[in-house]
Amino acid sequence: MKKITDDILYRVEKPARYVGGELNSCIKDKNEVDIRFAFCFPDVYEIGMSHLGMKILYHVLNKREDTYCERAFAPWPDMEKLMRENDIPLYTLETKDPLSEFDFVAFTLQYEMSYTNILNMLNMSGMEVRASKRREEDPIILCGGPCAYNPEPLHDIADIFSLGEGEEHLNDVLDLYKKFKGKSKSEFLRAASKIEGTYVPSLYDVIYNEDGTIKEFNPKFLDVPKRVKKRIITNFNEVDYPDKIIVPYNEIIHDRIMLETFRGCTRGCRFCQAGMVYRPVREKKTDKLVELADKLIENTGYENLSLTSLSICDYSDIQNLVFSLVEKYKNQNVGVSLPSLRIDSFSVDLIKEIEKVRKTGLTFAPEAGSQRMRDVINKGVTEKNLIDSVSDAFVAGWSTIKLYYMIGLPYETIDDVREIASLSTKVLDEYYKIPKPERKKGLKVTVSTSIFIPKPFTPFQWAPMDKMTSVRGKISELRKAMNGKITYNWHETPVSYLEAIFARGDRKMCDVLVKAFENGAKFDAWTEYFSNDAWMRALKDCNVDGDFYAYRDRSYNEVFPWDFIEIGVNKEFLMGENEKAKEAAITPDCRLGCTNCGVNLKFKEGECFEGALFNKI
Amino acid sequence: MRYSIKFKKGPDIKFVAHLDLMRALQRTFKRAALPVEYSNGFNPHMRLSIAQPLSVGMHSTGEYLDIEFGEEVDCEEIKERFNKKSTDSLKLLKVVGIKESCDKDGKKIPQSMSAVNSASYEIRIKYEDTNGLEEKLLQLSKEDEWNIIKKTKSGEKDTNIRPMVREFKFEIKNNVLIINVAISCGSRENLSSELVSEYIKTHTENVDPIAFTEIIRKEIYGARGTNIMPLWEYFEKYTD
Repeated sequence: MKKITDDILYRVEKPARYVGGELNSCIKDKNEVDIRFAFCFPDVYEIGMSHLGMKILYHVLNKREDTYCERAFAPWPDMEKLMRENDIPLYTLETKDPLSEFDFVAFTLQYEMSYTNILNMLNMSGMEVRASKRREEDPIILCGGPCAYNPEPLHDIADIFSLGEGEEHLNDVLDLYKKFKGKSKSEFLRAASKIEGTYVPSLYDVIYNEDGTIKEFNPKFLDVPKRVKKRIITNFNEVDYPDKIIVPYNEIIHDRIMLETFRGCTRGCRFCQAGMVYRPVREKKTDKLVELADKLIENTGYENLSLTSLSICDYSDIQNLVFSLVEKYKNQNVGVSLPSLRIDSFSVDLIKEIEKVRKTGLTFAPEAGSQRMRDVINKGVTEKNLIDSVSDAFVAGWSTIKLYYMIGLPYETIDDVREIASLSTKVLDEYYKIPKPERKKGLKVTVSTSIFIPKPFTPFQWAPMDKMTSVRGKISELRKAMNGKITYNWHETPVSYLEAIFARGDRKMCDVLVKAFENGAKFDAWTEYFSNDAWMRALKDCNVDGDFYAYRDRSYNEVFPWDFIEIGVNKEFLMGENEKAKEAAITPDCRLGCTNCGVNLKFKEGECFEGALFNKI
Repeated sequence: MRYSIKFKKGPDIKFVAHLDLMRALQRTFKRAALPVEYSNGFNPHMRLSIAQPLSVGMHSTGEYLDIEFGEEVDCEEIKERFNKKSTDSLKLLKVVGIKESCDKDGKKIPQSMSAVNSASYEIRIKYEDTNGLEEKLLQLSKEDEWNIIKKTKSGEKDTNIRPMVREFKFEIKNNVLIINVAISCGSRENLSSELVSEYIKTHTENVDPIAFTEIIRKEIYGARGTNIMPLWEYFEKYTD
């Protein structure tokens, strides 16, 4: 088998992406293990290496003496070209062995527009992209990650899906695999389908109605579970977390220590999939986090540590945690950062502590311009919250503010959109209210809008996506209404439409995906490589109407492709939330009282607020 | 307390670029918990500088850096602590402590960066056929003028690089031409090893057109009068 050489590497951009050997990468003797596991990220190295889930699972899997987990990323097209010309199959960074030699080839599904890269990576390994066409001796292709909550568009790509949190599930799958060594792939998959959190698409049949919606979704065999329950970690404080992480030589996107503080979110924003599927909230204790931070700093030498979670300021002991870390590491020149700020004065006070000297920009996400719209999406933020926060920030010496909004939300009118401009101007006004000598010079307010895409397992899963023509109209209205002193960045591309199709697509989208790949689609998330034409032809060739998935208003009794997955939150709860959205009625944060989403009943073992100091605001 | 340190950049990290290498060094000093000094200001950074940047694609057994510590640490201990926390590709080889800022005569002891006078390299060029190569190189080594277009800040200039080549030795092994050169290096007069390699490639026949040319920096030298010596020795003289 041909391997990569310097004769190729010196001709590509950023060759350090393809050589491995980074500090803390795992070195094992491949002949001394039972299971070889290739963890693949379907995008370039710098993006993949920034992903926390990969760091966690790389650590968890390599902790097993019987398993060697290695890494592979999508080669940038210049490298791909040379690899193909020189017959070098896609390889892992650790042993440089081709993916086809592994027992498992696993892909993490972070965003829909990386799917063609999965197909390309399989193809570069000399494997068939379709599970139904692959040979018995080919590796088992496993997929997991947030997009696996609608696995159907990849039903004939993956052999097996891992649903929910992977730390324990993957161990269960690998234990079973070891027991089944020597038996056939189909025997293994059949047995694996009984492990909670596993979906084996080839063991299920879908029957459609005449209108194209799903009539029935059934297991092919009686012993295969009818519903698949996501996996959660029930003792989150004690779950394995890496005490050392790989430190790449070249700069990656998030080049710092990421410390995961908690999982789940209590806010209940109606557009947010993460807020529903990661329930219940479970926290790590502050002393545990400080202990982990110590080890990670010692083992990496990183100069920055970022606390991560959804809505980080909701961590029940956040003030103590931040103060402890800042105090502890200020003499070691290690900075602490927060990925996002809640819109309230408490959060601004917190960031004041962290950025005492150098004040970088602050980012707030009101998500919508009008109060009515923020109530529709249950954002739980008022104009006063925002104005108080930015006012505090300006007084404290900040002058750069970024504001994030969405356009195309369900039940949105043009007036709601115009209010994005008026709210943003009010932010501007707060700055000028401060006497000139007291405010920091160089005011910069940036407004960014993205296009809302309805996602499965949210109250908006029934809603049509706003038509691209309508979104374009709203953006141009907003441009007209926006104060000239504000920098307005908008994001408007046909990629959003495709993302919407995949987000709520069914098995028919798998054919479209294969076709688009054959038409040359790859790196779809990269503007310079995205080819709308490749996709439009694929839809046409497969006789699939994209509007059916993107723009259709669904009824409450429709069977969704993802309905067989049990996330813990009831479908009835989501329906109720959608009804409340129509009335612009808000649902308070869970910490103000249980909202009966169902997760605490469906997952009795996973208590809400496990590990938290308190569960009140 | 300042230290001048010789280190290696191993072949496995040859494609790591200069700034990335700096970051890797800084993080390793940090892991080793050595008392490195930081600059003041909004964005403090380690007081660490590299004597002479090395191009992407090259590796080296003779790199140098200067670093400031807040307190004195035994030279051997620095080496041990750093190497224990580093990968095999990045190792300290020699540590010289420079206690004073001036020498006996009151002259300022230069930073490594400005002490650089020349550097030696091994250049390995692959050929498809090496027939007649030896004769050609013998001929080239006798010539007084090697004219090649040199890119400078102000533009391109036709330059005779031969006077900057101070030593030139070669051997041919299995279709690989191995050249050992010592060439001018530093702020006064600088010749890049790539230019030497390019000159040889364009003046010989049957070079493998797509093969990678391996370049290894072996040592960096300083000069005391007419005396040329490795930088570590150069700085050791100050500590006598």
